[in-house]
Amino acid sequence: MRFAILLKLAARSVGRNTRRSALTAAAMVVGLALLIFSRSLAEGAHEQWIESAVRMGSGHVAIQAPDYLQSGKLEYRIEAPAYQRTLYAVEAVASDRVVAHAPRLAVTGLASSASSALPVRIEGVDPDRERAFSDLDEKVEDGRYLKPDDRLHAYIGVELARRLGLKVGSRFVLTAQSSTGDVEGQLVRVAGIFRTAIPEMDEGLIHIPIETAREWLGTPGAVTTHAVLLRTSRDTDGVVAQLQAELAGDPDLRVLGWRRAAPELDSALRMDDYGDYVFHSILFAIVALAILNAVMMSVLGRRREFGILQAMGLTGAETGWVVFGEGIFLTAASGGGGIVLGFLFTWAFFRDGIDFSGLVQNEGSWASAGGIVDPVIVPAFHISQVMLSLYFILIIGTLASIYPAVRASKLDVAEAMKFYQ
Amino acid sequence: MSASTGTQLAVRTQEVWKIYPQEPNPVKAVRGLSLAIESGDFVAMAGPSGSGKTTVLNLLGGLTRPSDGSIWIGGDEITEMPDKALARLRLERIGFVFQAYNLLPVLSAIENAEFTLLLRGVPANERHRKVREIFDQMGLEGLEDRFPGKLSGGQQQRVAVARAVVGEPVLVLADEPTANLDSVASSALLDVMERLNREKGTTFVFSTHDPLVMERARRLITLVDGQISEDVRRNHGTSGA
Repeated sequence: MRFAILLKLAARSVGRNTRRSALTAAAMVVGLALLIFSRSLAEGAHEQWIESAVRMGSGHVAIQAPDYLQSGKLEYRIEAPAYQRTLYAVEAVASDRVVAHAPRLAVTGLASSASSALPVRIEGVDPDRERAFSDLDEKVEDGRYLKPDDRLHAYIGVELARRLGLKVGSRFVLTAQSSTGDVEGQLVRVAGIFRTAIPEMDEGLIHIPIETAREWLGTPGAVTTHAVLLRTSRDTDGVVAQLQAELAGDPDLRVLGWRRAAPELDSALRMDDYGDYVFHSILFAIVALAILNAVMMSVLGRRREFGILQAMGLTGAETGWVVFGEGIFLTAASGGGGIVLGFLFTWAFFRDGIDFSGLVQNEGSWASAGGIVDPVIVPAFHISQVMLSLYFILIIGTLASIYPAVRASKLDVAEAMKFYQ
Repeated sequence: MSASTGTQLAVRTQEVWKIYPQEPNPVKAVRGLSLAIESGDFVAMAGPSGSGKTTVLNLLGGLTRPSDGSIWIGGDEITEMPDKALARLRLERIGFVFQAYNLLPVLSAIENAEFTLLLRGVPANERHRKVREIFDQMGLEGLEDRFPGKLSGGQQQRVAVARAVVGEPVLVLADEPTANLDSVASSALLDVMERLNREKGTTFVFSTHDPLVMERARRLITLVDGQISEDVRRNHGTSGA
């Protein structure tokens, strides 16, 4: 009963002292709004980054032979029957969450022209499926992307073309170890040249038709990766778990999420996250100090009021609870306000994205860890992130209210009553 | 000195000292005060500024603890009483009226007045009845829902008195209650307090500079340098219950 009275008094104090409450709440509201804005930008950039990297790479989900990830060798490939099983599994398990899936038969080898020879990564792809999966076909610098009826054509990076002295229509030779262990050569003609802004792709990636690759390498119907692209990266864990369950007991197959299939991307994202955490920690510290300052000033300015409460029969601890309650009410109200302001601010001004292209020097995009971040970053809201921000701001508001509450509880009543405002 | 011994005592002090440890010379605000105040008395403590009047009220109300000596409220010694018990005693047996009104700014007049009853857990019906009754007696009808900032000084002080007496404490300690009021408002306030003293037997102890208060007190204690220099009982033809 008495505790309810204390809470009521705290709530009344917050509600009646609108200016004081507004000033105190402003720190939290702005802090949380900034946090939500910042998190939504970071999430948006990460989404783009992941989306780009998995499209260029092995998808949100990669189905491979067990040792392929470590070795990258052709001997660890998925043979035709197993590949058929992965096709059924993907269709059966996750068709509603799958945007596209594509077979890849990849080897490392050598690209040789009349002028030079360079190490390259050669990927045999299904042109139609690849168009739906990757956006590499949109990065044409010259010529065109592969067509389904192409036979001896290749789509190569702009830097590789420059170093080998190749143009659209030029012929060159690919050399790699085939399934028999022999080194085999394959003559191809440049159909198109791409520019991705990712140096390792522009310098060393070649797409050829998968049937050409299978024939050349002596692996009919085989793939090294069955790559699956999902609607959102957040579905990854669920789809991986379902595919693993569906393909359980198949010793020829292993299902990997993008974090395991592309560890360099995972590491880069984690590094970026750590940077965000540092920034957010600083933001939190500023908000905490602002709250502490505001609540503390409020307590110091109301010593007489707290003295009256104790003269009327409240204990020191109960007076402290009133102050603590005020802090909690302010924090809760500010939390709600901060979320609303954060959403409104981000949605009203930046729903179409924020253009950072002025900060980009050459390629019109940022490239890192196999992915490209478009300079126009569209904020992404995740309820879990918003709730996490709210949770942290509530914790900070609560912690920042403790010291003023303790100060109020230890008030010397007789001294406080001398205090004239 | 004229402390009575035959009737029930509301307050008793024995050799009470209050020393503030101030460097270089500690301040002896109260020096060996021994005092007995009967239940139902109407006592004024006068004296020059710095004579220790407010400190004595604070000691009697348990708002500060003596450096030495003992204090009893009714039969309970409060000198070493734990803080929680002391807070309980203040809530149930002592009412305070302060010079600067000291209403809680976030509560309306009626909420201020009923606050101690609320803390005591008095049911809402009874609480409202008691507060309405006291508001009627004090001429505060129609002001119930006003907040302190919308009340005059006299009105605020009457609400403060209503808050102090509504719980029917055995002792009301009033620190310069008329200091911020004009003579008309002071007289009206004293009328109210005298009536409560007469009708309910509430013991009032004032600290004051106001001749009007001194004049109407039945006992006038004069303090000088933390000691009683004069203690005079007068008969105004009124008596405690």
